[in-house]
Amino acid sequence: MSYQQNNYYVSRRQQNWSRNQNTTRYASAVKLGPVTHTILVALMVAVLGLIYLTQATRATGYDYEAQAIDSQIAELNQQKGELEIENARLTALETIRNSSVAREMTTPSSTQYVNQ
Amino acid sequence: MKQTALHTRRSRIIATILFVIVSIFVIRLFYIQVVQHGYYTALADQEQLKKERIPAMRGLIYAKNAGSPTLLVMNETVYTVFADPAIIKDRDKVAEVMKRVAGGNVRKDFESLLERTESRYQIIATKVTHLQADKIKDEGLSGVGFQAVSQRVYPEGELAAQLLGFVDTEGQGKYGFEGYNDAELQGVDGRLETVTDVSDVPLTIGDRNIREPAQDGKNIVLSIDRNVQSYAEQALAGGLKRTGATKGSVLIMDPTSGKVMAMANLPTYNPAKYFNVSDIGAFNNGAISIPYEPGSDVKTLTMATGIDKGVVKPSDTFINTDAIRIDGWTIGNATRGMTGTISFQTALTWSLNTGFVTVAQRLGDGKTITRSARDTMYQYFHDRFRLGQLTGVELANEAPGILYSPQHQEGNAIRYATMAFGQGLDATLVQVTAGFGAMINGGSYYKPTVIDGYMVDGAYRPLDAPKPVESGIVKESTSDSMRTMMETARGSSFGYLDRQGYKIGGKTGTSQVAREDGGGYKDDETIATYLGYGGTDMPEYVIMVSLSGDGTVLQGARDALPVFTDISNWMINYLKIQPKG
Repeated sequence: MSYQQNNYYVSRRQQNWSRNQNTTRYASAVKLGPVTHTILVALMVAVLGLIYLTQATRATGYDYEAQAIDSQIAELNQQKGELEIENARLTALETIRNSSVAREMTTPSSTQYVNQ
Repeated sequence: MKQTALHTRRSRIIATILFVIVSIFVIRLFYIQVVQHGYYTALADQEQLKKERIPAMRGLIYAKNAGSPTLLVMNETVYTVFADPAIIKDRDKVAEVMKRVAGGNVRKDFESLLERTESRYQIIATKVTHLQADKIKDEGLSGVGFQAVSQRVYPEGELAAQLLGFVDTEGQGKYGFEGYNDAELQGVDGRLETVTDVSDVPLTIGDRNIREPAQDGKNIVLSIDRNVQSYAEQALAGGLKRTGATKGSVLIMDPTSGKVMAMANLPTYNPAKYFNVSDIGAFNNGAISIPYEPGSDVKTLTMATGIDKGVVKPSDTFINTDAIRIDGWTIGNATRGMTGTISFQTALTWSLNTGFVTVAQRLGDGKTITRSARDTMYQYFHDRFRLGQLTGVELANEAPGILYSPQHQEGNAIRYATMAFGQGLDATLVQVTAGFGAMINGGSYYKPTVIDGYMVDGAYRPLDAPKPVESGIVKESTSDSMRTMMETARGSSFGYLDRQGYKIGGKTGTSQVAREDGGGYKDDETIATYLGYGGTDMPEYVIMVSLSGDGTVLQGARDALPVFTDISNWMINYLKIQPKG
C-alpha cells in the first residue's frame, strides 16, 4: 500500500481561511471498501458492548456492597431495637418499684413549699 | 466451460442450503422474540424479578412521664421456626439444638412433628428471639427455616391495658387506642420490585426496578401520665379489695384541656397475653364502653342548670318532706330526717333527691316538671354537658348511652324527675367527667382526648393546646357557685381527709342498677361513684371513681370517696400544687 501526498492550491475567494493560515489540505489516498466499513462498525459495536458490560458488572459489584451494608444496617437496627426494649423494661415502674433503691425509700412525713 | 458451470451449480446449491438454514434461524428467532415475546418475558420475570412487600413498622405508643414521653408500647421482631421433615438429615441434632437454644419456645410435640416426612412444613417453635434464632442458624441445620414476625411489647405490663387495646396475630389493632387508631398506627407498606441474582440480592440492572419505601405508622404520645395511671390503678385495686367490689374504673382528666391523665379499669389483663383471656368482657374499657345510670353525681349538673337559668340559688330554700310525688309516683330520699325548710346547699351536702326534683320543677312552673322544664334540662344535659352521646375520645368501642328527649314518649315528667338526681339516663364515666369538667372550669366544654402529641424523628412534637368545643355552656358565675357548693359539701363532712390549703370539691353517687328484664331496679346491687376535683384558685384535675359488683351493695361516700381522696392527695404532690391560704 502506498501513500501519496497532494497539494492543492485554492483561491482564497473559494475558501474561508484567513490570512497567514495553512492553506494546505491533506487528503488520504486510502479508500475503504464496504466490507471494511462493516467490520469497523461491527468492531465499534462490540467495543461499546464491552464497555456496557464492564459498567454493568461494576454496578452489580456495588449492588453486593450495598446489600452487605443494608444487612449491616438491619442487624444494627435490630440490636438497637432490642436494647431499647431492654432499657424500657429496666425503667418500667414495676421494675423500679421492686428495685433495692426503691425499697429503701420512705414517704416524707411532711412537705414544705418555698414560694419562688 | 463445463467446469465453470459445475461450480456455479454447486455454489447455488450451497447458497440455497445456507439460505434455508438462515431462514429457519430467522423464522425461529422471529417466533421466539416476536410472536412468543410476552410468554418468554413473563418466564424471565418469574425467574429474575423479585416482588417484595416492605412492611411498615407499626407506630409506637408513648405515655407522659412527668412531662416527657416514655415508651408504653413497642415492637419486637420474633421468629417462627419451621421445619421441612422431608429434608431434615439429622433429627436428633435438630431436637437437641431446639431444646438447648429455644427450650421455652418449642411446641410440646415438636419431636413427633419432625417425624412426619409426608409434610413439608411443620412449625416447631414460636416467638423465638433474634439471639436465639442466630444461635440456631449458626448450627447449620438443614431443613429448618425462620419466619420473622413483628409483635407488640408492653414494658409496663398490664398498665392501662384496656385503654391501649392490643394487636392480634393478623396485625390488626383491637379495642382501645390500638383499635381506634389502627390505620394511623399501621402505616403504609412499601413495595420492592427488582431483578435479583440467584442469592436474591437485588441488582440495579434493568429498567423496571421499583422501590417504594414503607411509610411507618405514626408514633403517638398519649396524654396519659404513666405515674398517675399507675397510682390510679393501685388506688383502685385497694378500693376493690377494701369494699368487695369486683369491677372499678377511675378517670382523671385535666378540666382545662380535656386531656385524660389516667383511665384505669379493673379487672384488667396483660395485653401481651390477650389470647389467654377467657372473658372478652375484660377487654372493654368500662370508663367509655359501659353506660350506667350515674346517680347523684348528676345532681351537680341539675343544680348548675337551675343556677344558670336563674331559677334557684344555693341559699334558696324549699320544704323537704323526704318525699315528692310526680305523676302519681313517689320519689324519696336515701338520707332521711333533714326535713323542713332547708337550702339547696343542704340538699347537695346531704344528696337529697327531693331538692333536685324541686329544681327541675322550678325550671318549669314551680309545681310540675313541664315540657318547658324538660326542654331546658335536655338542652343542658344533652346539648351543653353532652351526656348521652359519643364524646369522640380516640378509643374504640365508645358507647353513646341514652338520654331521652322530651319529644320522645319516654321523655316524660317522671323520667326527667329521676334524671334530676341521675337515674333514668345512661351515660359513661367519660361523658360525666367531661361535662362536669366544663361546669367547674368556667363553662368551656373540651372534647376528652388521650392524644398529647407525636414523636417525629425522635423529637417530641406536642399538639397545640386544645380549644373548647363550646364555650359559655354555663355562666362563669354559675361555675363559681357550683365550685363553692361542692367545696362546702365536701368540706362539711370529709374536709378533714384533704390536704389543707387546697380547694377540693366533689359529689358522692350511689346509683341503682336497672333490672335486665326492665322491671325497675335491683334491690341487692348499687354502683358507688365519686366525682370531684382539686386545685387552688382553679381546678387542676377532675377524678371520677366508680365501683361495682354483681349482687354487691356499695355506697359512694363509704366506698368510692376514699379512692378519690387517696388519689387527690397524691395528685397534689405529684403536680406540685402549692397551697394557698
